[in-house]
Amino acid sequence: MKINCIFVEKIISQFIREELNKFGFRKGILGLSGGLDSSVCAFLASKALGPKNVIALILPYGKTFPQDVEDAKEVVKLLGIRSKIIDISPMVDTYFSLYPTENKILKGNKMARERMSILYDFSAREKAIILGTSNKTELLLGYGTIHGDMACGINPLGDLYKTQIKQLAEHLQVPEKIRNKTPTAGLWPGQTDEGELGLTYDEIDKILFELVDLRREKKKIIASGFKREAVNKVLKLIKKSEFKRRLPIIPKISSRTVSHDFLYPYDWEI
Amino acid sequence: MKIGLVQFAPHLGNLKKNLELHLRYIELAKKKNIDLLVFPELSLTGYLLKDLVEEIAIQPENDSLFKKLRAETQGLAAVLGFVEEKEKGLFYNSSAYLSKGKTLSIHRKVFLPTYGMFDEARFYAQGRNFKPFPTPLGTTGMLICYDFLHFGSSYLLFVGGAEFIIVLSAAPGRGLSEQERYSSSEMWELMGEAISRFTTSFLIYCNRVGFEDGIQFAGGSFIFNPEGKLLAMSPYLEEHFLVQEIEPSEIREARKKWPYRRDEKPEIILKALKKLVGKDED
Repeated sequence: MKINCIFVEKIISQFIREELNKFGFRKGILGLSGGLDSSVCAFLASKALGPKNVIALILPYGKTFPQDVEDAKEVVKLLGIRSKIIDISPMVDTYFSLYPTENKILKGNKMARERMSILYDFSAREKAIILGTSNKTELLLGYGTIHGDMACGINPLGDLYKTQIKQLAEHLQVPEKIRNKTPTAGLWPGQTDEGELGLTYDEIDKILFELVDLRREKKKIIASGFKREAVNKVLKLIKKSEFKRRLPIIPKISSRTVSHDFLYPYDWEI
Repeated sequence: MKIGLVQFAPHLGNLKKNLELHLRYIELAKKKNIDLLVFPELSLTGYLLKDLVEEIAIQPENDSLFKKLRAETQGLAAVLGFVEEKEKGLFYNSSAYLSKGKTLSIHRKVFLPTYGMFDEARFYAQGRNFKPFPTPLGTTGMLICYDFLHFGSSYLLFVGGAEFIIVLSAAPGRGLSEQERYSSSEMWELMGEAISRFTTSFLIYCNRVGFEDGIQFAGGSFIFNPEGKLLAMSPYLEEHFLVQEIEPSEIREARKKWPYRRDEKPEIILKALKKLVGKDED
């Protein structure tokens, strides 16, 4: 699980630079929450593209998480990247005044999609590609909002576990208070990822690494000392969330069908 | 004798741009008095072609791009990779050895990786031979990427008298550790050292760099001498033009000291192999 941060920084910087070049972009845009993943992404993008080519949108819901906004501003200042703060509460409140709910998850998902909608709008205004901030842990567990925080143009951090991003954050000298923050999706005050998942990222990542990277069998993983309930829970979350990692399924009718047997590379240069 | 390795990133699916790049490198190589210039696997096309394979396939003998390339090889030999339409509708992941304005040999990739991140057998026909060929620089054999990870391929070139084994590669980096390189780079270097040493041949490995659909090619091209000594290596991940002077007399020196080739018994191997293969079919 330990990574060589110098090497990984090089891979991701080259990836960001090359992908933007191929698609004819010079700028990257990202939603900056003040948490670990988006801060790391901002640091990497700033190094890869130069600070003037990185736009951070800080998108709070009213004054729910004032400290996160302050931390996000500090990242902007540290890196010298461009930024804009947009309060999403007017849009979200208008919607929920018409269709009220007390369901926190519904509210949280709506907020995530409001942020996505603003990011895509600014991506077009600024001709900037959206840099995703979902990590491998979240992608595998499906711990994100489909078409919300999971939506992006390219996803530089998608093959690094949360605990590996923490290593990278230290190497990149992301401020300590951001590194030591309790991870939260920010769906509601007091919510924490680990609380909601019922496992620590350290436990989850170790289990995922065994299952996914090493392709070890469940019974062997349990025999080597992991709790049965924990392994089962992780497995269930992975299976339940496959739809979030795929394009919607299309019924095959014609002789050649998008996403079945019409297979072209993403990076196709014309 | 001077060898040049072009560790570069071809444009995916753009023959014209890649031809220009090849011609530019050939020109540069001539200025540097290079005798043998090696490009990576599928250097004229890029790697992750999928359904583009059929759109980009060529027949080297009557293709205009190839004519231009061949014409430029009067003063040096060039080895490059492309998609070959050997007969109508049959596409091969091929490499060509061009020298003195002629195509001296074509190798068609035999081992098409089709597992994990790879899907080659879906798009390509399988090559069926490993055959060394004479060149003005010495007897040479070509392998393409995964061919080289099957040691039987190198064995056949060894038995066929190869003095130079050229490996064209598009090897993706994968696997992280605490080292400043991909874990997968290690297996290529290990094989390079072992094969050069035990075939007492020069081992020339040219890998590519760049990203295609999020897959990064790891670079780290290298040349081993016939005693398994690393002569030169390109950096990982970065574009690089490696130029290395080699001493062909080292082949003779190595084979005097280490008579693996003299003592090889291909007829015994063949007999035993026939028995094993026959058994398999029962």
